[in-house]
Amino acid sequence: MEKIIPLGVELYVNLVAFAVLFVLLWKFAFPPITKMLDQRADTIRESLEKAEQTRVDAERLLDEYKVHMAEARQEAAKVIEQGRKVAETMKDDIVAKANEEAAAVLVRAREEIQAEKRAAMAELQASVADLSVAVAGKLIGSSLSDAEHRKLVEGYVAEVGSLNGN
Amino acid sequence: MTAPVPVAGVEGAAADPLTAAIGKLTHELSVLPLQGEKLAAGDSFNLAAFTLTNYTFWLILAVLLVAVFFILGARRASLVPKGIGNLAEAGVEFVRNSICIDVMGPEGAKYFPFIGTIFFFVLFNNLLGNVPPALPGTGTVGTTFTWGIIVFLVYNAIGIKKNGALGYLKSFIPSGTPGWLKPFMFLLEIISHTLRPVTLGVRLFANMYAGHIMLGVFAIFCALTLEHFTAVGLIVLPLSFVMQVVLRAFELFVAVLQAYIFSILTAVYINGALHASEH
Repeated sequence: MEKIIPLGVELYVNLVAFAVLFVLLWKFAFPPITKMLDQRADTIRESLEKAEQTRVDAERLLDEYKVHMAEARQEAAKVIEQGRKVAETMKDDIVAKANEEAAAVLVRAREEIQAEKRAAMAELQASVADLSVAVAGKLIGSSLSDAEHRKLVEGYVAEVGSLNGN
Repeated sequence: MTAPVPVAGVEGAAADPLTAAIGKLTHELSVLPLQGEKLAAGDSFNLAAFTLTNYTFWLILAVLLVAVFFILGARRASLVPKGIGNLAEAGVEFVRNSICIDVMGPEGAKYFPFIGTIFFFVLFNNLLGNVPPALPGTGTVGTTFTWGIIVFLVYNAIGIKKNGALGYLKSFIPSGTPGWLKPFMFLLEIISHTLRPVTLGVRLFANMYAGHIMLGVFAIFCALTLEHFTAVGLIVLPLSFVMQVVLRAFELFVAVLQAYIFSILTAVYINGALHASEH
């Protein structure tokens, strides 16, 4: 029995030890530590949340950029396609116009050639008439006036000309 | 108990060396005043005769160590823990999460200061007792029963505060108990509650006391086989030495385990008192 009932000298020391230790730990030692533990837990939770938020943001941005990139690529392709079309039509126009001009030049050249030919023919006819009159005058002696001869030869040349002319 | 030297049952100086040594050991492990041969006879509750004992001396040292440890730990508390602050935090976190909150749920954090005080008091006393020549402050019933009674008073006070005195007493009788059985159930619960501080006290005391007896006995074996060397000593000496080492390690484990058991039972009792009316 002596062993089971606490001795007074030990009971007192233990009661005081409990009271002192409990108040000390409860009021002074534990609060800063538990506060720090809670604060650390909060900090870690916040950091994780922030990291998660950042990751989500980054992913959203990446998606946005991808969309933008795709759009830009499409846009560029469209622009290039349009450019090609414009160039194509411009080329066609230029070629057509060049052809047209070339044809016009050709026509004009022909006309000029024709005109030159006609002028040359007229000049030739005149020269031939003069020469003929002169030759005939020499052959038959100037019985015919110059004017009459001319008229005669010109009529003849015109006949010849209309036969050989174009 | 104040065992006489040599041990009771062995008359005079006729005892053999082993019996004498074991008698000396049990005497040294009994409660003795710091000064003088034995506690003064009579009323040990008489404050005039107050004296420190071999156990309370080390107990006070352990309490001082707890205080210094946690005051330093609290001062060093920082968001990025290091050194003693880290150790103090690990202890606090263990008791708060693995004892209080695990047993009682989130509301258990409220009772952490009380349970933490018990845990660290018991732990430091148990551990200090493993450092020769210290004795564990918890190796005497004066300590373990006092703390058992403190736990008993506190958890019952919590139960009464939560459920009201009548509601708390009513909860001792489970609902659905037949009328004729009610007095017995009530009596049984009263006995079971009354035994709680006793079992708390005996368990802790017996573990610490027995551990030191065992260590002492094997130390005696070592000393005696060296002193009176015989052929038997060739076997006993190395075995005793190995046992001494193994038991030291085991005692460290017991020191932590008993602190854990004492505090987790406190948490369980408080939890039971809080939810008494639900049963």
